[in-house]
Amino acid sequence: MIPFNLERAESLEQALEFLDRDGTEVKIIAGGTDLMVELREISPGEKGPGTVLDITPIDEIRGIKDDGSTITVGALTPHREISSSPIILQYAPLLASACSTVGAAQHRNIATIGGNVINGSPAADSVPALVALNAEAVFQSKSGERVSLLKDIYLKPYQTDIKDDEILTAVRFPRLPEGATSSYIKLGRRNALAISRMNVAVVLVIKDGEITEARISPGSTTPTPDRITTAEELLIGKEPSEELFRRAGQAVSEEMINRSGRRWSTPYKEPVIAALTARALGEAAGEGV
Amino acid sequence: MNQNPEIIGTSPKRVDVREKVTGAARYGSDLKMEGMLYAKVKHAEYPHAKILSVKTGRAKKLKGVAAVATAADVPGNPAFGAIIIDNQPIAGDKVRYLGDAVAVVAAETEAIAEKAVSLIKVKYKELPGLFDPRDALKPDAPLIHEDGNLIVHHKTRRGDIEAGFAAADRVIERSYSVQRVDHAYIEPEVVVAYFEPDGTLVVKGSHQSIFNIRSAVSGVMGLPLSKVRIVQASLGGSFGGKDDVMSVLSCRAGILAQQTGRPVMLSNSREDSLIESYKRHPYFMDYKVGVKNDGTITAMEIKMVADGGAYASMTQFVTWRSVVHATGPYRVPHVKTDVYGVYTNNTYTGAFRGFGSPQITFAYESLMDEIAEELGMEPLEFRRINILHDNDITATGQILDHTVSVGQALDVTTSASGWEEKRARFPKENSGRIMKRGIGLACSYRGVALGAEGVDATGATVRIHSDGSVDVATGLVEMGQGLKTIFSQIVAAELGIPIDKIQYRPTDTSLIVDGGPTVASRSTIMGGSAVKKAAIGVRERLFQAVSEKLDVAPEDLIAADEKIMLKNDPSRSVAFLEAIALALETGLNLSCFGWHLSPPIWWDEEAGKGDAYFTYVYACQIAEVEVDPETGKVNVVEVWAAHDVGKAINPDTVRGQIYGGVATAIGYGLLEDVEMVDGVTKTMNMDEYLIPTAMDVGKINAIILENYDKYGPYGAKSIAEPTAELCAPAIANAVYHATGKRIRDLPLNLERIVLGHKLIKKKRRVR
Repeated sequence: MIPFNLERAESLEQALEFLDRDGTEVKIIAGGTDLMVELREISPGEKGPGTVLDITPIDEIRGIKDDGSTITVGALTPHREISSSPIILQYAPLLASACSTVGAAQHRNIATIGGNVINGSPAADSVPALVALNAEAVFQSKSGERVSLLKDIYLKPYQTDIKDDEILTAVRFPRLPEGATSSYIKLGRRNALAISRMNVAVVLVIKDGEITEARISPGSTTPTPDRITTAEELLIGKEPSEELFRRAGQAVSEEMINRSGRRWSTPYKEPVIAALTARALGEAAGEGV
Repeated sequence: MNQNPEIIGTSPKRVDVREKVTGAARYGSDLKMEGMLYAKVKHAEYPHAKILSVKTGRAKKLKGVAAVATAADVPGNPAFGAIIIDNQPIAGDKVRYLGDAVAVVAAETEAIAEKAVSLIKVKYKELPGLFDPRDALKPDAPLIHEDGNLIVHHKTRRGDIEAGFAAADRVIERSYSVQRVDHAYIEPEVVVAYFEPDGTLVVKGSHQSIFNIRSAVSGVMGLPLSKVRIVQASLGGSFGGKDDVMSVLSCRAGILAQQTGRPVMLSNSREDSLIESYKRHPYFMDYKVGVKNDGTITAMEIKMVADGGAYASMTQFVTWRSVVHATGPYRVPHVKTDVYGVYTNNTYTGAFRGFGSPQITFAYESLMDEIAEELGMEPLEFRRINILHDNDITATGQILDHTVSVGQALDVTTSASGWEEKRARFPKENSGRIMKRGIGLACSYRGVALGAEGVDATGATVRIHSDGSVDVATGLVEMGQGLKTIFSQIVAAELGIPIDKIQYRPTDTSLIVDGGPTVASRSTIMGGSAVKKAAIGVRERLFQAVSEKLDVAPEDLIAADEKIMLKNDPSRSVAFLEAIALALETGLNLSCFGWHLSPPIWWDEEAGKGDAYFTYVYACQIAEVEVDPETGKVNVVEVWAAHDVGKAINPDTVRGQIYGGVATAIGYGLLEDVEMVDGVTKTMNMDEYLIPTAMDVGKINAIILENYDKYGPYGAKSIAEPTAELCAPAIANAVYHATGKRIRDLPLNLERIVLGHKLIKKKRRVR
């Protein structure tokens, strides 16, 4: 641990003002469940942030809103609030499910979705669900608002395109379409307080026994989060079946290897992400598949 | 005679519960003192290297630094050790693992101390490192210590091994391995050291075995034992883990306290603790077993290699326990066992709840299932043919002259768990489901207390005060196991007074004579016997005073209900308080010391034979699991654990021990692994070193068996360690039942279940 200055912003305006003046050496803290660990690992002599900016008092970027078609989740909303929100449970249940698996209750009460998104861990629990929801990230700076597809903000593991003078204020996404079903599966080494070994979020729309829409978004699989369109396309226009879902799972692991190459962990991940994907699709499709 | 038996076998509230639950208890890091300095350690930068120079000039000049000490500043012996004197609190000529200290710093704040450490520059000549104990045994291996890399070789010999294999219909060979694990106590190691005006060095902290630590500090500081006082703070868990490492911390802080004349706190971070503190020994185990087609075992030939790491620590004793018990609780007429403890440049290994038994139990209990399978038998049937019974002879040639209850343990656990029915039903149901169910068992026997490791004796003092309050002191320590409560129950039973009249005195080497370490599950049977003797001794003096007053013979009296009364006529009595007054008036000493020496045992190291322990405990655990073969996830659904404790003086405490031991073993079986690559610890904190949470343990059914033992207080034997040696093999056997996959290496993590082997990440960093 090294010493740093702690500043506190009482409003978004104040925070943006501060970042505009001196954004380069600043780390933003909200729940702190990732940042506190990172700060602890910096040894004397190593470079760390000069200032930590506490944004927890900024109520305007906290909470969940639904305008009838789009749901906006303020960046400071803790995971616990998301997993128990009636809006999320109804229109984006896979996100509720993902948020309910983060760490332990203590983490879920304090850790924010904004932090989970910006930390950029490939094992983040909420991100695959958000990507499957086609979520957007909303950034604010003194010069205005910037909106990007969430999956596009990731440059590489633990790195996003957020600018020094920006704050992530919200993630937003359309309600799941009418008739859509979804599933989120997390595989951890433990049943609580576990980092995702792998996870996957899926959305299916099945009309008249035929899959009309499919979204598959695996975690801890590709260097940056993404939907696996090669697997999704396999499903469109087909009748749901175990065999079909297995092939889609296979396509996800093939895409993983295309993007990441064969790494030390590939022998394990290759069959497992295929199995998890097939299982999630089966769950989303419901009984009888 | 038992005076007030009703408190024995009950579970009164823990005597130290209030201070712990309210947070009032003072742990090592609460012991802040006026003028106290903070210490930090400059650790080795190579796992094996010659130290050429240590430059401390810049660190010493830093504002706020009070002292920087190197090996040159060690006032006494450069090293300490239980048998081999090899553990250097500050390394002098060379470093042997990354947890070695090259220098230690004391400063006004932790931050300054940390900064000063970063200014110390060390020049090394790197030496080739040894990270696999099997490599360390090769003839051309580099030497880690001058006398060679072999720490110890123990053997057991019984019968004629060749004749044993000749009598077999089949010979089955299997190899197993177990990993390095950390105690993962919630409180990392911490000490505060300071000098009294009379020159006594006091070291308070998270100590387990205070007399071992005193002896190490005395040697390294060059102080007589009488000028070293080791005081135990409330302990945040230990599990065997706070001995040698506490000696190391105590010496480091003691040297700095001597140099500065001020109190010094040395507090390990979790990272320090994972790198520096000793672990449980990894073992490589090769078993060769001869069996007849009817299921009778004829011979076992066993070879094991244990990774001792950089220092010998308890390796001689840990591996001795392994060599005695290696065949498991079975009749084996011909035995040849060899166990080698070996130095490497890994983190050193030592005592950890189980002490050489969790390793071998995993091997021999996996093996019993494998042999049964080869013979086409059910695991239970095969065990029943071979298990030990009363008056059987062990692998070391010892006749078991007590109740041998492994059969009873098998009976009660299989019956409670619905074993037969589940063994038959699960395989039929598994084909249709993702999560496959399985059920597996493991049983064991275990020598109680130190055994022939050495002299086993301990003492206790019981004092009665004029107001009727009583205190008790022993050299054995409370570490969450409930020792204070059990000893208080014994005093209450013998004096016939309520437990709340009894105060447990601090554990402090200056208060009582050396009673050995708090290890080997020996506290109840050894310490309890000493406490009982002391209580009876002081009671006899009360009886003497009362007998004169009532004009009866002292042997006709009993103490109960806060009275001393005539056995045959309770109406003739004297109140406890009055008895005290009578005794004090006549000048009687109402303080009594009790000393308990274990019954005779012997061991012939050359012959590999002996009566290794004066009694044994027996146990069986059954684990029901569900396994996801596609992801490798194993959930422990339910555990049945039956342990023969002789007599449960405090049944809740026995159950608590079982729950804790099972949880530890679930971690050993499924999750825990201090991963080291080329001497570098990769699991640096609890985010990577995973222990089970409450969500991972499943339901545990604790079953207490009581077969009176003549050597224990009230017939009690022991419980702590056997609880931790069984569940890992029970899980492995259950996983096999569920999936048909036999995993012979621990832990059974996700990758091993799916791939059959573990994945190895590349080296991350040298600190």
